[in-house]
Amino acid sequence: MRIKLISIFVDDQDKALRFYTELLGFRKKQDFPVGGARWITVTSPEGPDDLELVLEPNGHPAASAYQSALLKDGIPCTAFESMAIHDEVRRLKAKGVVFTMEPTVAGKVTIAIFSDTCGNLIQIYQQ
Amino acid sequence: MARDNRPALFHLCRARDLLADVSSPAVSIGVAAREASLSSCHFIRRFAAVFGETPHQFRTRERLTAAQRLLARGHSVTDVCMEVGFSSLGSFSALFSRRIGVSPASYQRSLRCSVFVPDWTPHPPSCLLWMGGDEAIAIFEKTWRRR
Repeated sequence: MRIKLISIFVDDQDKALRFYTELLGFRKKQDFPVGGARWITVTSPEGPDDLELVLEPNGHPAASAYQSALLKDGIPCTAFESMAIHDEVRRLKAKGVVFTMEPTVAGKVTIAIFSDTCGNLIQIYQQ
Repeated sequence: MARDNRPALFHLCRARDLLADVSSPAVSIGVAAREASLSSCHFIRRFAAVFGETPHQFRTRERLTAAQRLLARGHSVTDVCMEVGFSSLGSFSALFSRRIGVSPASYQRSLRCSVFVPDWTPHPPSCLLWMGGDEAIAIFEKTWRRR
């Protein structure tokens, strides 16, 4: 057994695909219609090609409520690792990404938090 | 947004909730901006930066999502148009068709074969279906249409 997929809810799949590919720099891996939505996954060029992030629609009321509650309380829904967090933050800010937490030392890691524009906060960290 | 400024984000979320409530009379940008403790111009810019769309675009998307839910529950197109805050049936139908790809009536007809229609647009439990491929998706579609 291994971890192959991790999913996050997004409020708009088109917007999410644009953000995760054009701004974060991930690569689209899968994109095909499933029911009334789409099965969209992206991978990181800096990580294994078969570890996929699913951009899942938040159509179910529980999903949007969960997303909204985390966002209001400033809690990231997931975290990505960076090898150079300060460069990453500069790069993303130049593209207009909004950070709710600047790079901050927290014990053995440095963390920062940004909005993915799809209803989530994402944490990036460097060990 | 300032360093670890959770209150600012919280107020922005509150403003977004106001805009998302399509059942209430249209909330002006000014009212939503006050909820976020920002000027209207700053609010629009900040909202777009954090949520990836302007307040107006967000509210329109929320209204169309609500319309899809109400149509799925069997409400008439005219009722749905009014309930989600459009005053003109023509502009509602045109916008719905442009964004969703089919007219409100066609959208409703496509769901009419269902006996039980939940109040959200269904989509398959993706992970399982992805693992099962096209065959599993076909089974889901068939099962959904029988319900």
